[in-house]
Amino acid sequence: MTSGDVLPAHLQELRRGTAVIASLAALREPNYGYALLQTLADAGIAVDANTLYPLLRRLEEQGLLAAEWDTSAARPRKIYRTSADGERVLAAMLADVDDIRAALARLTGGNHS
Amino acid sequence: MSTLTDRYVFAATRSLREPRRSEIARELSASIDEMAAARVDQGEPDDQAEREVLLGLGDPAALAVEYAERPTYLIGPALFPVYWRVTWLILAIAPVTVGLISALVEIADEPDVWPGIGEGIGTAFSVAIQVAFWSTLTFAIIERAGGTAHLPEWSLDRLPALPRKTQVTLADTVASLVVIGLVIVLLIAQNFRSFVPDGGDDAIAVLDPDLWSPWLALLVGVLVLSAAVEIWKYRVGRFTWPITGATAALSIAFAVPVIWLASQDRLLNPAFVTALDLSRDTVDAIGVVTICVVAAVEIGTVFDAVVKTRRAAAESRATE
Repeated sequence: MTSGDVLPAHLQELRRGTAVIASLAALREPNYGYALLQTLADAGIAVDANTLYPLLRRLEEQGLLAAEWDTSAARPRKIYRTSADGERVLAAMLADVDDIRAALARLTGGNHS
Repeated sequence: MSTLTDRYVFAATRSLREPRRSEIARELSASIDEMAAARVDQGEPDDQAEREVLLGLGDPAALAVEYAERPTYLIGPALFPVYWRVTWLILAIAPVTVGLISALVEIADEPDVWPGIGEGIGTAFSVAIQVAFWSTLTFAIIERAGGTAHLPEWSLDRLPALPRKTQVTLADTVASLVVIGLVIVLLIAQNFRSFVPDGGDDAIAVLDPDLWSPWLALLVGVLVLSAAVEIWKYRVGRFTWPITGATAALSIAFAVPVIWLASQDRLLNPAFVTALDLSRDTVDAIGVVTICVVAAVEIGTVFDAVVKTRRAAAESRATE
C-alpha cells in the first residue's frame, strides 16, 4: 500500500474542522452561500458545495451564524453573518490551531516545512 | 426554478421534518439557482448549467444524510457494545435451551428420535432469529429515545481476565461436550432403541421407563447445565472458584440420584432384566459397578477442578 492510497482520507480528516473555522472567519463579512464558497476557494480552502451548505445550516442551528433572507435582489439569497457566539467559538478554534501548530513544530524540531 | 431542481431538492429533503424541511428546501433551491446562474454567466446553456450543478452536488440521499438531525444508524456507537454483548449472551443461551426442550418434548411423544432432533434444530434456529430481531429492535428504540443514562458503564473490574497459558484448551472443551452429548443421546436413545437381541417389536428400555419423571429428565437437565459450564470454562480460559463450585454442584446433582437409585435397585428396567435373564447376583454387581464408576468419575472431576483452580489462583497471585 502506497501513501497515495491513504493520504486523501487523512487529508480529508485533517481539513474537516478547518471548513468551520474558515466559514466563521469569512462570514464576519455578511455573505450568502455561493459567494462564501468562492471566497473560500479564492483563499485556498477547498470545500465542496455539498459539504458547505449543510455545514452552514448546522452552524446556524447552533447559533454560531445569524441568517436572514434578502429578497431585495433579483433572486432571494440567505445572508449569513458570524454571531457573537460564533466569534467566541472562532477565537477558541484559532487559538487551538495555533497550539497544535506550535506543538507540531516542537515535535518535528521546527523543520517540518 | 425548473422541475429537475425541484425533484432534486425534494429528493434531498423529503426525509426531514417540517418546518426544517421547507426552510432547507428553500436554501438549497436558492443555492442551486445561484450556482447555475454563475455557470450561465460564463456562457453555458441554461439546462446544461443546471445539470452540471446538480451532478456536482452529488447523490441527494447523501446530502439528506448531511442535513439529517436524527441518527441514520439503527444503533449508535454509544450503545453498540452493550447491544453486542447482550445479544450474543442471549444467543448463546436461549436457542440451545429452547431447542433442547422442544426436542425432548417431541422425542417423548414420538417413537423415533430423528423427528425430535429436527424439531429441536428448527426451533433453535427460529429462536435465534427472534432473539436477534427483538434485541435489535429494543436497542434501536433505546437509541431513539436517547436513553443512554442507565447503561452499565464499563469498569476496570469488568475487564476480562488474561488467559493464563490457557488451562482449558478448545480440544478439551470439545471432547467434554461430545461426551456429555453422547451420554444425553444414550440416555434418551436406550428408551426407544432396544439393545435386547430378541426384544420383539416393542423396544425394551435398559433403564426403568418409570424413572423418566422426574429422575432421568433431571439427569438430562444436569448434563445440559454441565455442557454450559464447559463453555463458560472455555470462555474464561482457566478454572476459577465459581466454575469449580458449579462443577461440584452439578457433579453432586448427577451422582447422588444415580447412586441412590442404583442402591435401591431401581435403575434397571425389570423387563430388561427379565429379557436378558439376568441373575440376582449380576444385577447387584451391575449396581455396585455403576455406583463405583459414577462416584469415581465425579470425585475425580471435582478433585481435578479444585487442583486446577488452586494452581490458577497461585499463578495469578504470582504475576500480580
